[in-house]
Amino acid sequence: MGDQFLIRMYNVGVGDCIYLRIPDGGQHVHVLIDCGTIGSIKLLKAALADIKEQLPPVEGEPQNKRLDLLVATHRHRDHIKGFDPEFFEGIRIGHIWMSAVMNPDHPQASRSLQLHQGVSQAMRSLEASGQALSPEMQLLASMYSIGNDGAVEALRSTLPAANQIQPRYVVAGQTGQQLGLHLQDTQIKVLGPEENIDFYYLGDETAADFVGLSVFDRYFKPKALKLEHYQPHNISISELKMLQNRILSDPLGFAEKDSSIQNNSSVVLLFEWRGRRLLFVADAEWEGEFAEGKHNGAWNVMWQLHRDELSQPLDFLKIGHHGSFNATPWRPDKPASNEVNQILDAVLPLPAVGESPGAAAIVSTLRTNVYKPIPSAQLLAELGRRVHSTRNYAQALAALPDFDLLTDLPLPAYEQAFLHQPQPLRTDLEMLLTGDTFVEVAIDPAN
Amino acid sequence: MPLFFDVYVQDPLVAAESPEYGFETIEVFYDPQLGDGPTSARFAVVDYNAATGEVGRPAVWDEEKQAFKKGRRVLDRNYADNIQFHQVNVWATLQRALEYYEDFKALGRRIPWGFEGNRLIVVPHAGYGKNAYYDRQSKSLQFYYYLPAQEASAQGEAQLVFTCLSADIIHHEFGHAILDGIRPYYIESHALQTAAFHEFMGDFTAVMLLLRNNDFRNKLADEVGANLGEAEKLFAIAEQFGQTVTGRPYLRAAKNELSMDELPADFNPHLASEIMTGTMFEVLIYLANQYRQNRGASAANALWYTIDRMQRTAIQPLDLLPPVDVSFRDYALAVLRMEELRNPKDPYNYYQTMLEVFIRRKILNEQDREALLNSPRYLLDRLELYKAYRVESFSKSKAATYRFLHLNREQLFIPRNRDLTVADVYISDKLMRQGLRFPRHAVIQYIWREEVLLEGNQFGELEGSYMSMLCGGTLVLDMAGNVLSWMRKAGTQLGDEMHLQSWYRQSDETDPDQHLSEDELAWRTELEQGVARRQAFLQQMAALIQQGKISLADARGGLLAHRQAPLVLRREGGAFRPELQPHFHLSETHQLSQNGKRTWEISF
Repeated sequence: MGDQFLIRMYNVGVGDCIYLRIPDGGQHVHVLIDCGTIGSIKLLKAALADIKEQLPPVEGEPQNKRLDLLVATHRHRDHIKGFDPEFFEGIRIGHIWMSAVMNPDHPQASRSLQLHQGVSQAMRSLEASGQALSPEMQLLASMYSIGNDGAVEALRSTLPAANQIQPRYVVAGQTGQQLGLHLQDTQIKVLGPEENIDFYYLGDETAADFVGLSVFDRYFKPKALKLEHYQPHNISISELKMLQNRILSDPLGFAEKDSSIQNNSSVVLLFEWRGRRLLFVADAEWEGEFAEGKHNGAWNVMWQLHRDELSQPLDFLKIGHHGSFNATPWRPDKPASNEVNQILDAVLPLPAVGESPGAAAIVSTLRTNVYKPIPSAQLLAELGRRVHSTRNYAQALAALPDFDLLTDLPLPAYEQAFLHQPQPLRTDLEMLLTGDTFVEVAIDPAN
Repeated sequence: MPLFFDVYVQDPLVAAESPEYGFETIEVFYDPQLGDGPTSARFAVVDYNAATGEVGRPAVWDEEKQAFKKGRRVLDRNYADNIQFHQVNVWATLQRALEYYEDFKALGRRIPWGFEGNRLIVVPHAGYGKNAYYDRQSKSLQFYYYLPAQEASAQGEAQLVFTCLSADIIHHEFGHAILDGIRPYYIESHALQTAAFHEFMGDFTAVMLLLRNNDFRNKLADEVGANLGEAEKLFAIAEQFGQTVTGRPYLRAAKNELSMDELPADFNPHLASEIMTGTMFEVLIYLANQYRQNRGASAANALWYTIDRMQRTAIQPLDLLPPVDVSFRDYALAVLRMEELRNPKDPYNYYQTMLEVFIRRKILNEQDREALLNSPRYLLDRLELYKAYRVESFSKSKAATYRFLHLNREQLFIPRNRDLTVADVYISDKLMRQGLRFPRHAVIQYIWREEVLLEGNQFGELEGSYMSMLCGGTLVLDMAGNVLSWMRKAGTQLGDEMHLQSWYRQSDETDPDQHLSEDELAWRTELEQGVARRQAFLQQMAALIQQGKISLADARGGLLAHRQAPLVLRREGGAFRPELQPHFHLSETHQLSQNGKRTWEISF
């Protein structure tokens, strides 16, 4: 075990909290990638308590534990909620890396940041208005809750100050070495986000839309009537309410764009370790095919600019965005020649007949009835064909005493069908099976 | 006493580029109840803006001046930048479009909306986005505005595009509202051609109304002379929109050579509609050239005769269409039937010309040619009914019409064990050429429902659910009781009570038909059509689920354009009913929809 690259993914509901232990130069390097959930903070506290157990004491400070690197991939709650200074008391952090888009002064993200700020305000007032939203929209709105500000503040200043370090806002092309993390056997390469965030992920159209909103405000607003003081005379109150429900929501539309930009600006790290290649993609999305000036997906941008890093098969993939369809490049409705399918075939090729897959992959996920697209059962079944760290959950769960697949899992029949196919190890079902609060994969060195 | 209002002929971009097609003054009927908003008998303009959450001040009606005003200013073309002018522009354009459809040369009757109430709510600045749509649920036409990407970086004040100022977009969306009014069950469909027919109505309405404009038509005649087919302006639908959004000269071209071979395999109503739009545009061009070349009319007159005739040719047949599940074939047959009734001697051979166009486009086939042209048949028939009827008496109410239909269920192929609804019944007075009167007639639309079980894993999450399949017919009778038209969408439950047992008993014999009476043969044919419909219904449903084009209805707020599936399912009683959603993407091309992510999809 001591000579293996260990990846431990905690069951934090919908969220990421990933601990890495990397044998390097005769000792271990300890890394935490994200610590968030849309669920209860208790899950994060428990995960952090376990992580603390794993960390070694700081030399000369036996009361403190050493964490060499903390990565906050992007600013969504399900990735950063746990970055509360209180939880990190007694942990000395060596380096803090986060996405360049979390730097309020990043010059090439000025328009994206402006959009984010506008959206945050709009979403908070939407939340405050108490308007009934669909579960999907509620989730989107919750990504902008005020609580998030505290975590961002902790990452930018409180935690760095406590550890007397400078946080680094990372961009593609940098290496661990350049970012000050000097390792012997491990090369860390940043594959995303690109420095020019506005250019690659925002897209001209979204930028124009944002300007357009304010242009109209200038000549509509001055003499417009506020609904609090004025009821249109020619329709009833209930007709107006129905109209409001059936008008496209600008705040939500922009929030969705912004949310996607945040996902696409995730820190993507490729670890090259003793002949192995391990990729951590956070919530990077894919979107059609790459084009300049478009709102591009991070996978497409990486394929365009860092293809040499992705054209070889991986030994490990952290499955993105909790198993959502939009974060693993795969389009079953398109031929293999499609850009998106090319990417998946390059990083996780289907094994030849009679051979087993070479790579491992795990996913932090929680299937709820609130937000159905996470995870995509169809996608996980496909990935189950391409990696070896899998389980046939239908069989495994059937072996549990008093467990009935049909009644004990809140899944419709079509989704249960996919449980009969091997799926990558997933935090939610592993918890059911083993009671473990995490899923773990250990990678042997190739040389 | 008509009223007069200034509106854009097409849109501000065309007005800037070709001022001669800039504004026009249009005439609408006087409405003594006309009020601020504008608010008229059939429209209520409400300038609610979802982006700001505020309401724009309404244009104020000055009864004395017979004009809408803002303060002291009359809202004419000199105040076109004013949002109150926008309100008047969209209202007056719609008012004229409605009058066009209600005209005796068109449907010859008052047209209801597809929802409860008589006022269509018009929202000229609903919010920011490249959108405009008709939404039955909120009884509204919503128009959005946006900034073209190139404007954002341009020097000076950025110029927004207002969809409420584009006549083509207004007419297109109005086409949806009108069709929903006259055939309200088309929205409850998951058939591609039915959705595409809605789009066709939108686009063709835009073409027809543009050509109604005298200035435009006459100037066009000057420009193009003999060959109308080359007039670029005619081919453009939503010119400004197309230019700024897609970078192409127009959004959807009316001039094309598409046939049913090009019917898309996936659910893409816009693309599919181009086949029907191109076909009817070809008919229009044929008529224009025919007037010009064969009958010696001047270019201006030829265009006027064409547009005048197209109003009858294209719109009057809408009254014959079946109440559910319309196909392009249904429309082609309705166009031909109406032509035959209006113009039985057909000295200029229009009937055959149109038939050939429909066959070439593969909307109709060779068997249709045989049946329509060469088989012996009469112009008019009577129904052989169990119970005698008088059209004048039963067409006065839905209840009386129901009684008539019920007493004759067997002869009308309506199953005994299904509850029957009279969707609509009305009397229409239409005009033929030169103001001649077409026989007064009653149009009866009736429907019933059959519940179809979705069996098999091709239905994904919906496996085991019931879907409601609509069946029914439209019967058009003149006041003497002659059948002018009868278009049906058969069901599958005729077998139980139609005494077909004898046919089933004999079906293993070499010629089972010999045992069947003429009635039984007719029922069997009807039943076979119903079974084929059910089969297609299920296949379409499975395909849509697999393409990820369906989601379940959620009544809560938070509408997002690209999260909205083109179809939603709504549970009524124990069965799902499909419901076509407004298309939220004016700019969506086939390519885009193919590349887009489908996050609302039913996971499959």
